[in-house]
Amino acid sequence: MDSSSGSEFDYLFKLLMIGDSGVGKSSLLLSFTSDSFEELSPTIGVDFKVKQVTIGGKKLKLAIWDTAGQERFRTLTSSYYRGAQGIIMVYDVTRRETFTNLSDIWAKEIDLYSTNQDCIKMLVGNKVDKENERVVTKKEGIDFAREYGCLFIECSAKTRVNVEQCFEELVLKILDTPSLTAEGSTTVKRNIFKQKPPTDEATSGCC
Amino acid sequence: MEASIGKFFESVGTFFSGGDSIPWCDSDIVVGCEREVAEAEKGSSDELKSECLLRLSWALVHSKRSEDVQRGIAMLEASLPRTSDPLQMREKMYLLAVGYYRSADYPRSRQLVDRCLEIAPEWRQAITLKKSVEDRIKKDGVIGIGIAATAVGLLAGGLAAALARKK
Ligand SMILES: Nc1nc2c(ncn2[C@@H]2O[C@H](COP(=O)(O)OP(=O)(O)OP(=O)(O)O)[C@@H](O)[C@H]2O)c(=O)[nH]1
Ligand SMILES: [Mg+2]
Repeated sequence: MDSSSGSEFDYLFKLLMIGDSGVGKSSLLLSFTSDSFEELSPTIGVDFKVKQVTIGGKKLKLAIWDTAGQERFRTLTSSYYRGAQGIIMVYDVTRRETFTNLSDIWAKEIDLYSTNQDCIKMLVGNKVDKENERVVTKKEGIDFAREYGCLFIECSAKTRVNVEQCFEELVLKILDTPSLTAEGSTTVKRNIFKQKPPTDEATSGCC
Repeated sequence: MEASIGKFFESVGTFFSGGDSIPWCDSDIVVGCEREVAEAEKGSSDELKSECLLRLSWALVHSKRSEDVQRGIAMLEASLPRTSDPLQMREKMYLLAVGYYRSADYPRSRQLVDRCLEIAPEWRQAITLKKSVEDRIKKDGVIGIGIAATAVGLLAGGLAAALARKK
């Protein structure tokens, strides 16, 4: 799907992806936005993609921020939690430490840096295509999600199983949360793609 | 004049934050990174210092303010020759390419991003940057490049086009 064309939409939502390095955040995003899967290098700082979708009868623009999991970028990525309506916490079902770090690191980061009280959290167990290497059971994921009040899904960026559903369920829940959409209707509904730079001001300001 | 330029960049910022695929960075993030660097100067290990500096250069070249971008470019240009680790080298080259892109120096940006892709052909962020650079070059045509060479520090193609019209 083309993410840059088309200019009308009902809401613009900011989504954030967090989790340890190598769990597959960028792969999930790539799988969602361009239907492809390949070997990726670790993200440097923060990456960003826009995707236009129609979910629940609403035309939506999703601005998805993909953060670097590497610790050396942490202070940089923490500032991107601001204003997110949805946060996707990813772990790798074949690496236990990526799961335990959710409560040790990532849930704490959300408490510290997220500014939206009601922001929706989605727990994602990735790489289920490697079923024979799995070390974190589905039940453990469900229990964690229940304890922290998040949605939960298991998926694979490689086979694309449940990738669309992951984003769709998150967005449906955001649409269902009046405080998140109310804010959106005043501050982000304005169509930023139609807004032209004020050329007059630029000409007078620079010469 | 300062204020109106500031306001202009602000609006360019919101204009592109949706369509552009290179992220922006707010000035308070730059300030935060600056503080970290200052603290690290007070006797942290070299490794920590260079991590702090890398974050600061990331923040600077992604900043909405052209002064920041220029400063980021200068920092990276100065540190590249002293970098021997290949991974750090290519990260800095990528960040420098982002800086050139944001200051509308598209030919130089493309040159660097091509070098990054020679080293790591599958590098997604570099591929995205290359695409953005090429879109810009196509959009602005020869005018954009000419302007970029003379008007250093200008942020966006929209602005370059406006200037071209005035001439
Ligand atoms: N088998 C399998 N491999 C995957 C899957 N998702 C990602 N990978 C691989 O895991 C590696 C890391 O994926 P990335 O998407 O770069 O991980 P990341 O979370 O973005 O890492 P950082 O950017 O460092 O935070 C890549 O080599 C991917 O090919 C998956 O669903 N199945
Ligand atoms: Mg990544």
